[in-house]
Amino acid sequence: MDAPPLLDEATAAFIAGPTASIAIASRDDANHASLFKAVACRVSADRRRVTLYVDQQLAHAVVARLRAGFPVAAVFSEPATHRTIQLKGERAELGAVAPADREHARVHFEALVEHLVALDYPEDGVRCYFHYTPEQLIAIAFEPGTAFEQTPGAGAGNPLGSAA
Amino acid sequence: MNGAITLDAIRGCFEGLMPALLASCSPDGTPNITYVSQVHFVDAQHVALTYQFFNKTRRNVLANPRATVFVGDTTVGTRYLLQLEYRRTEESGPVFESMKARLAGIASHSGMSGVFRLRGADVYRVLGIEAMPGPTRRPALRRYPPTSAMRHVAARIAAAQDVRGLLDDALAALGEYLDVRHAKILLHAAETRPPRLYTVASLGYAESGVGSEIALGQGVIGVAAEQRVPVRVMHFSSEYTYSRAAREVRAGDGSGEALETEIPLPGLATPGSQLAVPIVLGRRLLGVFYAESEETARFTHEDEDALLAVPRRSRRASTWSY
Repeated sequence: MDAPPLLDEATAAFIAGPTASIAIASRDDANHASLFKAVACRVSADRRRVTLYVDQQLAHAVVARLRAGFPVAAVFSEPATHRTIQLKGERAELGAVAPADREHARVHFEALVEHLVALDYPEDGVRCYFHYTPEQLIAIAFEPGTAFEQTPGAGAGNPLGSAA
Repeated sequence: MNGAITLDAIRGCFEGLMPALLASCSPDGTPNITYVSQVHFVDAQHVALTYQFFNKTRRNVLANPRATVFVGDTTVGTRYLLQLEYRRTEESGPVFESMKARLAGIASHSGMSGVFRLRGADVYRVLGIEAMPGPTRRPALRRYPPTSAMRHVAARIAAAQDVRGLLDDALAALGEYLDVRHAKILLHAAETRPPRLYTVASLGYAESGVGSEIALGQGVIGVAAEQRVPVRVMHFSSEYTYSRAAREVRAGDGSGEALETEIPLPGLATPGSQLAVPIVLGRRLLGVFYAESEETARFTHEDEDALLAVPRRSRRASTWSY
């Protein structure tokens, strides 16, 4: 029998939910890290596979390194609460996005802007800060091998599900 | 470093309004991402990042100093990737104290007081800056750009007939050209023990507070004086307000000696923003300019630079010392 998925239902709902601000990182063969923001996330029905939608032009360094097979890290943080989760995977698969994925990214972008505007960030500035080009989106999918609690505080850095 | 973009040109990204993101890599090749409360402009080649927790990032940069940070300015929407190399951690001094004061404001604003504590200022050399393409928003127009304001204020100071006039004119000009509503000027009494600052002029308070005192190292003003560094807090922080009576303010040198004055230091009860800039002649501390506002994030690095430059532009700077 397979081990249960690393992500429980609540965590999966959080990272794919409307208030998660997302970033993705990789590294090169000299161990120099690169990162950029991701636009949105989906989690597979069995919660074993996470897909991030990324503007490949803006995130060109991360995309090139993931394409070359280097490992992946992703953080998901809710601005209002600072709740933060980090996932890591050995490698990622890059693929094209479907129209439904583009729509998912658009809806998430709008929800995150709304979340930040409610926190007094200026709407037009935030729209520029998170700007992406829909035609440049690609899908980056990976199986998280490890997951960490990263909300600032005593439990930060602990594997997800362990006691703080 | 990239010839096209300087750190000075992107200082709006270091106002701490949106946390930055830092990617590091462990020696075994595992990338890691962390949020950073504050990226602090140190000089044209260096930034300092808040070290608050001994975490994975900390272990990574000690073993592998290369990192990348994503910063942005949500007021205009610009964003950049900075290639960094970790150099050292400072646990005292001007950079540390300035970041500590600002972090207190960020912690208070974000409900993280008691969680965010500055252990050190991690200083990184900036190896490269990459601008991310995309739309941006025009910055709000100011009545007087800070460089113009500085010129007007310095001219007003230079025209003053006496010291009293100089102090009052300086504050009135700050009000007029930098739209500062609440401000005070404190001078340094170096010979007293403990050394202290005393208020000589104020603007926008019910009581002038002239004669009220504060110890070096105490609050935003005291830190600016002691460290000879500008201190700018973007959000309300109870640790750094001046609404308490001066009698409650104890010397910061550990002696526990109460300051003698009973004149309350004038101050807003809950300032949203504070800016303290040391007035320095050569290596000598003359005093501190202090401005505050009910508004959050009211003062920018441009206001800070303008206030720093005013006494330097004034040919009569020596008169600040009475």
